[in-house]
Parts: sequence; structure tokens; C-alpha cells
Amino acid sequence: MESEASMSLMDHAVAGMPVDSLFICDAHTHMGPYFNFLVREEGSPAAMVRMMDRLGIDASIVSPHLAIVGDYRMGNQHVYEAAEQFPGRIIPFVVVNPNYPRAEVEAEVAHWHEHGGIVAFKFHSSLHGTDCLNEGYAPAYEYANEHSLAILSHAWNGEGGAIKVVGKLAERYPNVQFVNAHSASGWPVIEASIALAESCDRVWLDLTGSRLVYRGVERMVARVGAHRILWGTDSPFIDPRPGLGRLLCAELSDDDKRSILGLNAKELYRLT
Amino acid sequence: MTDSSPALRWIDCNARVGRWSTPQPEQFTETESLLAEWDRAGIEGGLAYHASAWEWSPAEGNRMLLDEVAANERIRPCFVALPPATEELAPALEFARQVKAAGGAVRIFPKKHAWSVGEWCAGPLFDALACANVPLLVDIKEVGWDAIAGILACHPRLSLLVLETFYRIDRSVYPLMERHPNLYLEANTYGAFMGVEGICERFGAERLVFGTALPELETGGPMALVAYADVSDEDKAKIAGGNLLRLLGERE
Repeated sequence: MESEASMSLMDHAVAGMPVDSLFICDAHTHMGPYFNFLVREEGSPAAMVRMMDRLGIDASIVSPHLAIVGDYRMGNQHVYEAAEQFPGRIIPFVVVNPNYPRAEVEAEVAHWHEHGGIVAFKFHSSLHGTDCLNEGYAPAYEYANEHSLAILSHAWNGEGGAIKVVGKLAERYPNVQFVNAHSASGWPVIEASIALAESCDRVWLDLTGSRLVYRGVERMVARVGAHRILWGTDSPFIDPRPGLGRLLCAELSDDDKRSILGLNAKELYRLT
Repeated sequence: MTDSSPALRWIDCNARVGRWSTPQPEQFTETESLLAEWDRAGIEGGLAYHASAWEWSPAEGNRMLLDEVAANERIRPCFVALPPATEELAPALEFARQVKAAGGAVRIFPKKHAWSVGEWCAGPLFDALACANVPLLVDIKEVGWDAIAGILACHPRLSLLVLETFYRIDRSVYPLMERHPNLYLEANTYGAFMGVEGICERFGAERLVFGTALPELETGGPMALVAYADVSDEDKAKIAGGNLLRLLGERE
């Protein structure tokens, strides 16, 4: 028998053993059922935490599926309730939908500022049928700027493309950190994400994706550095195990893996 | 290992050898690098098709694959097939028997190779594969679920392994699995949340087969999907390698 201490991170993945010696944060997750496919156990917080325990994930930052589709306010309510049920394990993103009146969005932000606090925002401009320059997002940008928070966006879409969009926003909101979701979903996306990160030092790249190309993460680390890469899985939209295995088995140093798996998220989202 | 779980015997159902048109700098085109990556991950060996059979000529690529197999006993041949009418390959039953004798399987690319999986076109090929007990592998992007349903309805004895699926497939796959006991899924990009457990509970671990899609995709993800699954060690062993060996007619 090999002792756990002598096992590499890759050994853990191949043996299916949780990596309990590291702080691991899944920095991009969802919660609940979804219209387009089966999510087993309805993607409940309990099912998610059970999966986290199985893999050695300490914390997950969550935006419920409901929030990124039809009802952002009810979705936010659900995730704050889950965070109460699983303190320290489930951490809420606040989702805003810019298609609703500014006063309503402002009230939503103010509500969670007062009831639980806001760690970060999540935008899903694609599912909300808009782009990241929509003025309806202003209450979230302004709050994030005032409190030096990060915003995770499914895509930094808008006129001129992601580099121009983030460039404009970074100038307007100098204290905001911009997390680019799904940065590793195929080679063209990887190249575009690297270019985005190279264009602005407040861009972070999130690894969430369903098609994990051979040595894609290694290219991202070589070009951008491990210090600006965040590990996320989209769970329970997608099963978190492939994403974990991909990183544990990557040809990267253990220090880089530690940073990506949790330490970067801890710093960016000020997790305690 | 720190617990009593036995080490798994990993056999890859989905690898590729040979040079192709659009490699990235990080990807490999040499067979030695495939073997090295299998070594790094602890994968014993597996089925591979030849890139030239996919991108250039199935007949020539299959011949090149035989050279690779002769030089590397860890590689089991996955021959690329075409419908028989154009006589580009050996007659269907002869071809199927050659594949069986080589201990291999067959993969098809009907979309890329521009042919129909309808009975009027491919029926004789599927008949021959079923008759020779040769498993058929196909990437879901090459066919679609209605086509899979049609093939299995007409050829219920054919073992059909669907590769490179994704996480939104259960509403189509569950009814197909209920109807067709010879339908299998590659446990790689099938990333439905707790999807491995769902298939094992509803249909049995026999229906899932480990594969990597090397050198396109990486190895750690599909291995972790199996290794961390909340199923018995026996079921993990089936998915990791036992099921593929059984489909190929080898002892598990």
C-alpha cells in the first residue's frame, strides 16, 4: 500500500481518491434542474456537496440554473438558502438580469449586500439574450467597482469582441476583476482567451468546459501563468470529475495545480 | 493505493495514430507518443484507428494501421469501414471476418465520408459486422440519435459503441438503452452530472466503455470520471477495460 502523502496528484485522480491535502474551490458551478437535459437529483445542494466530498472539493461558488435563465431573483434566493444550509461549502454568486428595470436590479444588489453579503457577480449575457455592455448591468458593475469584486461572465460579449468590451469596462470600472468563463473549450477558444488575458491584467481565465483538449491547460499556463487561472467545472450542469481529473493529471507543477485548484480563487474571492 | 480498491486495468477504446491535417503544437502525431501518454497514465493499451483512414483513404489508412499494430502489440486495430457498394474495401462479410481475425473493431465516419447509414446503403455492412460479432464504433457527431435508433432496430445483434457524446443526451439515450441491450457509450465526454451512476443503476455498468480520444482530448478527465464514480470496484473494472475486452471477444 502506498501512503497518501507519497501519492502524486495524478495518482489520486487515477485511484479515485479525494485530494484532502489541498484547498480546492470549484469557482464556477450552478445548482438545480435545467430545461435542456436531465440533471440527476435535480442538482440539489445536497447532491452537490456529496459530490464535493467524494472529490475533496472544499467550496463551490454557485449560480443556480434558475438565475441564469428565467428568474434571477428566485435563483439568488435559492443559492443563499443553500449557503445557509452548507456554510463555507456553498458560496453564492449574485446573478443580475439586465433585461429587468434598473431599480429592480439595484434593489436586488442592495438586498444581498444587506443579507449575507456579496462575494462576486455572475453574468450570463448569452442566456439573458444580451451583451456585457448592456446598461442594465450597471448596478452590478458599480457595486463591484466600489467593493473591488470580481465578475464571472459566461462570455465578455459585445460590439467589437471580448478584448474591446473588457477594455472599455476595465477603463470605466478600474477596481473590477474580469473572469472569463469557459476559457479552455477547444483550441480557438484557448487562443482567444489567452489574447484576452494578455490584453488586460485584470482578466482571469476559468477552465470550465466540456471538451478538454490535450494539453490545452498546459498551453494556457505557459502563456498566461498559473496565477490567473481558476479551476471550475460547471457542476451540476456538467459532471465535475473530468475537470478535476484533467487538472490533477496535467503536466504542471504541483504548485501551479495548487494555485489553479484553489489558492487563486481564495485570493480573488477573498475566501476565508 | 491507500485503500483496498484494486488498481484498474485501463484499456482505451478511442485513440488515433498517424499524422493528420491540423495538429496543435502540444499534440502528438507519432505512435511512440501515444504509447508514452498511455504509459504516463497507466493505460495498458487500446483500440486505435489511423488518421489516414479518416482523412484520406480508408483502404490505405487501414493498411497503414496494420503496420502500426504489427509494430506495437498494445494497439488493437480499429478499421474504418465504408458501405460495400463502391467496392473500396473487401466485400462486407470478408472485411468483417478479417477484422474479427485481427481482434479489432470497426469505426465509421458516415458524415465525413459522405454516405448514408440507411439500410439501402449500409445495411449489408451492418449485417456483416453483426454476423462476425465485430463491434461498431461511431462518433455521435457523425450520425445522430435517430440514425442510431434505426441501425439498432434493423440490426439488434450488432454491438454499437457511441463515442464522444456529451452531457445533454440522457433524454435520447435512456429510451435507446431500454430498447437496445447492445448499445454502449464511451465514458469520456459523456459528462452528465452523476451520469455514470445513472447508467450503471438503470442499465448496468456493462454499457459504459472507457476511452480517451487521444491525441485530441486528454487522459485525466475520462480516467477520473470512472475512478471517482460511486459504483462498485467490479463495475469500475468493467468500464475501465473489461467491457471493451468482452466486446472484442477477449477474456476480461
